[in-house]
Amino acid sequence: MTPVVIIGAGHNGLIAAFYLGRAGVPALVLERRPIVGGAAISEELAPGYTAPTLAHATGPLRPSVFRDMRLGARGVELVHPDPRLVAFAGDGRPLVFAADEAKTVDAIRGFSTQDAAAYPEFGRTLARLGAFLAPILEMTPPSLDGPGASELWDLLKTGRRFRALGRTDAFRLLRWMPMAVADLVAEWFTTDVLQAAVAARGIFGTAQGPWSAGTGAVLLMNAAADPVPAGSSVLVKGGPGVLTRAMADAARQAGAEIRTGAAVSRIVVRDGRAAAVALADGTEITARAVISSADPKHTFLQLVDPVDLDPGFLARIRNFRSRGTAAKVNFALSAVPVFRGLPGPPELRGRLQIGPSIDYLERAFDASKYGEISPEPWLDITVPSLHDPTMAPTGAHVMSVYAQFAPYRLAADRPWTDAASELAANVVQAIDRHAPGFGRLIVQQQVITPRDLETVYGLTGGHILHGEPSLDQLFTMRPTLGWAQYRSPIEHLYLCGSGTHPGGGLVGGSGQNAAREIAAELKK
Amino acid sequence: MSHYDAIVIGGGHNGLVNAAYLARAGRRVLVLERRHVLGGAAVTEEVFPGFKFSVCSYVVSLLRPEIIRELDLPGHGLEILPLDGTFTPMPNGNYLWRVNDHATTRREIARHSKLDAEAYDEYGKAMVDMGRFVKPILDMTPPDPTSLEPRGLMDLLFLGRRFAALPVEDKYNQIQLMTMSAVDFLDQWFETDVLKATMSASGIIGTFLGVRSPGTAYVLLHHYMGEIDGAFRSWGLSRGGTGAISNAIGDAARKAGAEIRTSTAVSKIIVKDGAAVGVVLENGDYLTAGVVSSSVDPNLTFLRMVGAEHLPDEFVADVRRYKYRGSSGKVNLALDSLPDFRSRPGPGAHLRGAVSISPGVDYMERAYDEAKYGRYSRRPYIDMVIPSLTDPSVAPPGKHVMSCFVQYAPYHLKEGSWDDHRDAFGDTVIDTIAEYAPNIRDIILHRQILTPLDLEREWGLTEGNIFQGELTLEQLFFLRPAAGWAQYRTPVRNLYMCGSATHPGGGIMGAPGRNAARRILKEAGGR
Repeated sequence: MTPVVIIGAGHNGLIAAFYLGRAGVPALVLERRPIVGGAAISEELAPGYTAPTLAHATGPLRPSVFRDMRLGARGVELVHPDPRLVAFAGDGRPLVFAADEAKTVDAIRGFSTQDAAAYPEFGRTLARLGAFLAPILEMTPPSLDGPGASELWDLLKTGRRFRALGRTDAFRLLRWMPMAVADLVAEWFTTDVLQAAVAARGIFGTAQGPWSAGTGAVLLMNAAADPVPAGSSVLVKGGPGVLTRAMADAARQAGAEIRTGAAVSRIVVRDGRAAAVALADGTEITARAVISSADPKHTFLQLVDPVDLDPGFLARIRNFRSRGTAAKVNFALSAVPVFRGLPGPPELRGRLQIGPSIDYLERAFDASKYGEISPEPWLDITVPSLHDPTMAPTGAHVMSVYAQFAPYRLAADRPWTDAASELAANVVQAIDRHAPGFGRLIVQQQVITPRDLETVYGLTGGHILHGEPSLDQLFTMRPTLGWAQYRSPIEHLYLCGSGTHPGGGLVGGSGQNAAREIAAELKK
Repeated sequence: MSHYDAIVIGGGHNGLVNAAYLARAGRRVLVLERRHVLGGAAVTEEVFPGFKFSVCSYVVSLLRPEIIRELDLPGHGLEILPLDGTFTPMPNGNYLWRVNDHATTRREIARHSKLDAEAYDEYGKAMVDMGRFVKPILDMTPPDPTSLEPRGLMDLLFLGRRFAALPVEDKYNQIQLMTMSAVDFLDQWFETDVLKATMSASGIIGTFLGVRSPGTAYVLLHHYMGEIDGAFRSWGLSRGGTGAISNAIGDAARKAGAEIRTSTAVSKIIVKDGAAVGVVLENGDYLTAGVVSSSVDPNLTFLRMVGAEHLPDEFVADVRRYKYRGSSGKVNLALDSLPDFRSRPGPGAHLRGAVSISPGVDYMERAYDEAKYGRYSRRPYIDMVIPSLTDPSVAPPGKHVMSCFVQYAPYHLKEGSWDDHRDAFGDTVIDTIAEYAPNIRDIILHRQILTPLDLEREWGLTEGNIFQGELTLEQLFFLRPAAGWAQYRTPVRNLYMCGSATHPGGGIMGAPGRNAARRILKEAGGR
């Protein structure tokens, strides 16, 4: 039987392959790189050191994906760290978000009794609104042109659930979505570092600052998957590579074939239908359907011949915003760093955030608007070797750092090859301020710029979410209006990556939703 | 003690429109204005002998044509003069000069970019289509999406149907307009920096947002609304200044029987058993009324005049949360002669329109960045007009008045108060203009500097917001000014809102005053 070809073995590609296989549609997954995983990988950073090269925490992963793919039985161990997050205040004081809410409230009380009192209610509110949104993330966005019966039914159900929220929450939802996340957190809290820790979830991976309108929606979408105000920081023991390798096993067992080192250079369209893919080495593989987990721009602007697409559609895809602003710096360390105000390594088991206030985050963003690297970047840090000592030699550690903002395009066309060291220096300096002597622990460092994200990992514009999660690029607009149902204007060409609804980080929603939609159509 | 069917608080354009419609329906109406002159922020004053300024609001485009018609404003002396074009001088000696005549503007844009000249046609067409969709929404009372009231459901259904009936490209544009930043939206059409900067400026006026902030694209549409309605196409000046608009509306109201008192400040709205029954003036007089209609902002109306004790807690929390954050100032200059722009020397038609200091997108965005951290822009966005060129009656012969709208001037300064910074702010504005028209320093006879603090003190605009509250998505339509209270009603029976803090918001539009009057007449009957 002619297989369905899936382009890219990132987590969404693998999840789609698994669900299609389970539905009786075997897939051939083609991965350009020598390993599976896409942006969810663990690779050797230096001899004896393994780092989560790109993603370091899960989004968290959709529980049904974990269950259906039996990832637990395949050796994936999800870590729910305690504390979940340590955020450093401007004066260096750490605010510790423990897994136990009461402990977190106590910690907040050290900053503000008023905020401590507001925190549980904020958490509950976020959970209620998140619970309303969660089913929306699982649905295929309806067509706005001619919604079918089942779509109308979904809309009706959503409408009823909206009313069931009650007036207060219903209006909150309407107000919060288009809001700037900075305004949203200021309605609840006065403590800078607490505001920043929550608001950061509204700007992670985006080309937006906390004052950008619509970042409220990003926070709410994240809360739909994970309602803990500052994030529950679910990690994978051994790094995300362990997760995607297990996903690959599950997909294979469900009937998929996975080939690495197989770069698709072109999607062959015959008679308006996707008929085959051509590999970089010239081989052509006939396909019953082609499903791309690559981002929309890569798919439609690089892999498809423009003559096969309508110019209006092409213009819209070109206008799909995917200017990345996140960079990654991974460190091999000779020992565990000592952070001021933290008793010891157990406190470093979750995420660490250097981004003490809304103003700090916004200033970091400001630089990127003019094509500059943040002089004082916002950092999201994990030390994965604390959970899996095999990731580093005895006593040594790896540290994984997300740094924002690092604009894809630098001012005056300065090449990133020149700027990478400046970025790393800014990161080291920012960490050193809280962990004096940090610089001396560095055995090796790896800098992944937005340019690398594009050239090495195939993310157009270096956008880790495949495209801005802004209001005009969400839900029925992701990637563009009329094509949010995982289909494309080319028959039998589908999308299943983060550039489709619901998108996001290491969550798996896009792959799962897309497989459901595509399987139903292919089995017709 | 006198009794009125309705007392309208505030004699700004919305208060006056509201009063005029109520009076025309036969109600006995009293308008109370705190200042010595009518008009609120739509006011003309002789600030310096012989020089008359549209002190605050200075151009008109959005005034609803049905108001002009129904109140017969031309018959009451309203005359709109054209304000043709926008001239943007550039630091490199070049300029961009857009005028109402489409072909001329196209040629001018082609001088900067041929592609942009092509796109300008399509853009204009798309905006007109969008505007047609939005227009009926301006005149509608926003439905409550959480209520099961059949009327609200019908309205929602109406909106949904209209949206569904749009061609797909229009749907796409409409969603983009509602959510995108002005620059991101314009980036899809144009490549010329100065063109995008000048066009995007309309998206930030009266907001605490930058041209790259999502949500600013929507306001681009407002520039096309005048064109769609065909009343006076695009922007205009009112002969005698914007105060003449207020005076015409005031005359229409008086003619319909309304009584208008200036220099009469309201200190309290009296609430008995959950209903407004009248007002107490600052001089202690007590006036009773069947309906109180407030055109001042929610902060003054509810927190100062009504008092939180008469209101539900949740509503009070919403009113406190409502964002004002004034971000603009005004500098009014009395000039001995005309400014001379380096990029287009001498007098000429370019001075008869607006002159915009908006040379680039980054320039605009940097101006915003400073405001975010609590200081006024070192190099602000300035929109200037010289009404005396079109209407010589506002200045002595040979002299001129120039009105400069300046953004950003944040109400909340990080250091010091506006009283300490007022003059330095004025200097900054003049220095900025001097970079393009160096003679400006030599021709200034007098200057009046209005900071957001002054707008608050003198005009009762909380935090100096010219629209009585930011025009951001979470404060528009059924969320303006508070969730569940967007229908001109308030939690206090017989108390209504009719100012810019209600749908559809600010600018000299008059729609809030008219929409509110309809609501009052239908509901309370006003008797």
